[in-house]
Amino acid sequence: MIQLLKLSKCWEGHEVFYVSTLESVAQKLQKLGRFYIIGECNREHFVQALHVLKNCIRIILREKPDVIISTGAAPPCLLCIAGKVFGAKIVWLDSIANVERLSLSGRIIRPFADFILTQWPEVAERYRSVCYAGFVI
Amino acid sequence: MIFLTVGTLFPFDRLVRAVDDAVKSGLVKEPVFAQIGRTSFAPKNIEYVKVLEKHTFDNKVADADYLISHAGIGSIAIALERNKPLLVMPRMKCFKEHVNDHQVATARKFEQLGHVLAAYSVEELPDKIKELSTFRPKPRASQADSVARRIAQFLNELSASARQ
Repeated sequence: MIQLLKLSKCWEGHEVFYVSTLESVAQKLQKLGRFYIIGECNREHFVQALHVLKNCIRIILREKPDVIISTGAAPPCLLCIAGKVFGAKIVWLDSIANVERLSLSGRIIRPFADFILTQWPEVAERYRSVCYAGFVI
Repeated sequence: MIFLTVGTLFPFDRLVRAVDDAVKSGLVKEPVFAQIGRTSFAPKNIEYVKVLEKHTFDNKVADADYLISHAGIGSIAIALERNKPLLVMPRMKCFKEHVNDHQVATARKFEQLGHVLAAYSVEELPDKIKELSTFRPKPRASQADSVARRIAQFLNELSASARQ
């Protein structure tokens, strides 16, 4: 979330809503606008992932976003896939935590993403279609 | 005050226990406050909570002289933003502390750039804790504006093609 909010200038003037995984950031997001909590999951908890996916689909159907901008990881990846199915464009900024290659969620979303960026030039060199435009942290 | 934070997603008993031991042995003399998340070990020598609300968390960081944390990007980011000396210990998959070992690479990268101190095992921790008091992190100037401009440009291209 820290990384994503540093990009807030890029959606200025657009109608926006926020999605996060954790209740503990709800207070902060509340100040920014409409927000949803989808819950946490990872590759090791399939049932929990299904629950998150269900939340994602519900949000997508309600909001019908034109564009989803995300910095990952697993739960937002599910949101992006659900969004893509319903026609949203996907902008993915891979987390700066991934210094050697794209995150697993980044690699999963790459074929679906409309614009994908990494925050390390050496990672960008490894993939066609992955762009480097600096780092946010 | 030292603020110890290990994220909230997975347990990190190794680090919490090591810092608790360091306080017990007298290696750490200042008070420690910890956010231990899903860690099951209950520290005996430091004050701790499971999860702090974001605002309270930020205040703890502001009050701290030094930070100790897992090599999670949220912790590294906030330390850099506030220019706080940070010692990280990466989570390891073999101890079931994360789904993979990417934190090792993250720690190494930010350590090489002079932004954080890093301990890669419990054994390395005491020496690194001693280093913390003299460590001055190298500042890092965010290029968020440049990234935001690049994405804004993409969004504009999208709206232009949607209008056609």
